[in-house]
Amino acid sequence: MFSSVNNKISGVHLTSNAKQTVVAVLSVTFGISMYVFMNSFMSGVNDAQTKLAFTALAHVRVYNDGPADNTNLLKRVLPYGKLINLRNAKVIQYTKGIKNSTQIVSLLQHQPEATGVTSQVNINVSYHNGAIKINGQLSGVDVENENRLFGISNYMLQGQWQELKSRSDGVIIGSGLAKNMSLKINDNLNLLTDDGVAKNYKVIGIFETTIANTDKSKAYINIGAARQLLSKNADYVTDIQLNVKDYSKARQTAGKVAPVIPYKVEAWQVANGQLEAGSDLRDIIAKAVSLTILLVAGFGIYNIMNMTVNQKIREVAILKAMGFSGGDITTIFLTEALIIGIVGGIVGMLFGYVVALAVNHIPFAIGGLTTLPMTYKPSDYLLAFVFGLLTTFVAGYLPARHASKIDPVTIIRG
Amino acid sequence: MNTTISLKASNIDKYFYQPEPFQVLKDVSFEVKKGEFLTLIGKSGSGKSTLLYVLSTMDTDYKGSLEINGARLTGKSQNELAAFRNEHIGFVFQFHYLLVEFTALENVMLPALKLGKKSREEIEANAYESLKMLDLKEQALKQANKLSGGQQQRVAIARALINNPSVIMGDEPTGNLDSKNTKVVFDIFKQLSRERGQTIIAVTHDDDFARNSDRVIELSDGNLLKTSTIGR
Ligand SMILES: Nc1ncnc2c1ncn2[C@@H]1O[C@H](COP(=O)(O)OP(=O)(O)O)[C@@H](O)[C@H]1O
Ligand SMILES: [Mg+2]
Repeated sequence: MFSSVNNKISGVHLTSNAKQTVVAVLSVTFGISMYVFMNSFMSGVNDAQTKLAFTALAHVRVYNDGPADNTNLLKRVLPYGKLINLRNAKVIQYTKGIKNSTQIVSLLQHQPEATGVTSQVNINVSYHNGAIKINGQLSGVDVENENRLFGISNYMLQGQWQELKSRSDGVIIGSGLAKNMSLKINDNLNLLTDDGVAKNYKVIGIFETTIANTDKSKAYINIGAARQLLSKNADYVTDIQLNVKDYSKARQTAGKVAPVIPYKVEAWQVANGQLEAGSDLRDIIAKAVSLTILLVAGFGIYNIMNMTVNQKIREVAILKAMGFSGGDITTIFLTEALIIGIVGGIVGMLFGYVVALAVNHIPFAIGGLTTLPMTYKPSDYLLAFVFGLLTTFVAGYLPARHASKIDPVTIIRG
Repeated sequence: MNTTISLKASNIDKYFYQPEPFQVLKDVSFEVKKGEFLTLIGKSGSGKSTLLYVLSTMDTDYKGSLEINGARLTGKSQNELAAFRNEHIGFVFQFHYLLVEFTALENVMLPALKLGKKSREEIEANAYESLKMLDLKEQALKQANKLSGGQQQRVAIARALINNPSVIMGDEPTGNLDSKNTKVVFDIFKQLSRERGQTIIAVTHDDDFARNSDRVIELSDGNLLKTSTIGR
C-alpha cells in the first residue's frame, strides 16, 4: 500500500495544484501557531502570577497548629463505661512555636527535591510612630535563606537586604508601611508585641513587593533579634518554610514528610486554593480556545481535501481501472493530508514562536511586570504538532475514504 | 493460434434501472481463444461498451459468469479484481482517459509501477519503447493535457500494453486516429496476438479494421448476433 507510486501520485497532486496546497498548509499553520501562542501566553500569565505569589509564600510551610482537641482528656486515663462530669475544661499551658527546629530543618534540607529551607519567627505586632498605630506582622528571618526562597533583595527600594544580618537593631519595612507611618531610612520604628513587650528599631531598608497587603503591614528583622524580643532560646521558630524544585508537586513533598514531623505540614495549595484554581482555569481556557482554533483549521483542511477529491474523481476512476486498490487511493489522499499537516505544523510552530516573541515584547507595566508574560515550553510545541497532525489525519481520512469507495465504471461510463 | 480458452463469458445479463428498467445485455455467451484478435461491432447503443466493461471486470453488476485464463472472476472483491486487471488486462477507453497532471511517459509507466515487478529504469525503457512504436517519442515528456486527441489515444494504447497483459481490450481504440495511425495500431495488435499470444478484443466501427481481424462478433440490442471469421 505504501508504495512509491502512491507517494509519487500524492506529490504530483500537491505540486500541480500548488495554490490549493498552500491554502491548506496555511490553515494548519494558523491553527498550530495559535495553539502555541495561546498556551505560551497562558503559561506565561500563570508563571508570572505564581512568581508574584511566591514572593511571600513558600511551597511548604511547617508550623504549630495550636493545641490539639482536648475536650475530653479523661477518656484517655479512665476505663470505658465510667461516667464522668467535666465542665469548663481549660488549656492552662501549651507550647507555642516549634521547639526542635534544627532537627526539622535538617530533615527538610535532606529531601532530594528541596531547593531551600528557611526558619522564621513571626510575631503579631503593632507599629507606633507618635500618634499613628498600625497592626502588622514582624518577621524574624534567617537573612540568607529568606532571600534564597523569596528573592526579597530584588524588591528593595532603599537600603541593602544583607545589612539585616549584622544589624540586630535594624528593621526593613514595606513601602506602604513606610508611607503610612511617614518613615524614612534611619528613622526609628517603635513596636509592641501582643505580649506587651515594646522595642525600638532603626529603619535600614524599604521594600516593595507590589502585593499591597504585604507592603502595608510587613517588616523584617534578624531572627536572633526576634528571639530576643520574645525571650526565647536559639532553637525557637514559629514557621519553617520549604521550597521544592517543582511547586506543583508541593503536596507530594508535604505528604511525605508529614508523618515524621509532629507539627502541621501544609502545601501552598491548601492555604491558597484560589491561586491553583485560577491557574487551572486559565489553562482550561487556553486549551479550549486553542483546540477550537485547531478544529476550525481542521474543517478548512477537510473542505480542501473534499474539493480535491471531487476534482479528481475521474482520475481516481482511471487509477482504479488500471488496478489501484481502494487502499492505494486512501493512501494517496491521506499522504497528501499528512504532508500538508507536517509542513503546516512545522511552519506553525515557527510562526507561533515568532508571535509569542512579538507579544512578549509588548510593554505591560502592572504588578511587577514590564512586558506581557510568555513561557516557552517545548511541550506546548510538541502538543500543538501532535494535535495538528491528528486533526489533519481525521480531516484527510474522511475524503480519502470517500475517494477509495468511488466505483470506477459509473464515472468512466459518464 | 492455440486452442486454450483465454476468456469465457456465459449467459451475461445486464440491466440499467435508471431512468427506467431496461435490459442492455441479453444472455450473451461466447469464448475467445488465447492469441485471438476479436472485433466487436454493432450499432450505437447496442451495448458494446457495456459488454466491454463487464469483460474488463470493472462492472460487477451483472448476471452470468466471466472467466479469464481459467479463473472465475464473477463474485470476486473489488480489490482482487483491481489486482487482476493490473496484471492481466490492458484497457483502452473510448474517451482516452489519461491522468492530465502527469506526462505521457508517466501515464504509460503507472500500471507497471503499480505492478512493481520490474525496476523503474526497466519500466521507463519499456514505456519509451511503446511510445516510440506509436510515433510519440517526441511527446513523452509533455503533460497529457497538452496532447491532441489522437496523441492521447495512442498514449492510452501504450499504457494498455505496458504490463504485457494476457488480454487487451479497446473501446473504439482507433476512433480518433487517421488512417495511417489506425494502421499502426492494427499492426501492433496483430503482432501482439501473433507473436506473444496476447488476446485482443476491440470494439470498432471501422469495417476494414474488423474485416482484417481474426473474428467479428456483432451485438444488436444486447443480443449477440453471429460469429463470423473474416480475413483469415
Ligand atoms: N449509465 C447508464 N444508465 C442507463 N443507461 C445506459 C447507461 N449507459 C448506457 N446506457 C444505455 O445502454 C445502452 C447501451 O449503451 P452502450 O453500451 O454505451 O452502447 P454502445 O457502446 O454499443 O454504443 C444504450 O441504450 C445506452 O443508452
Ligand atoms: Mg460505446
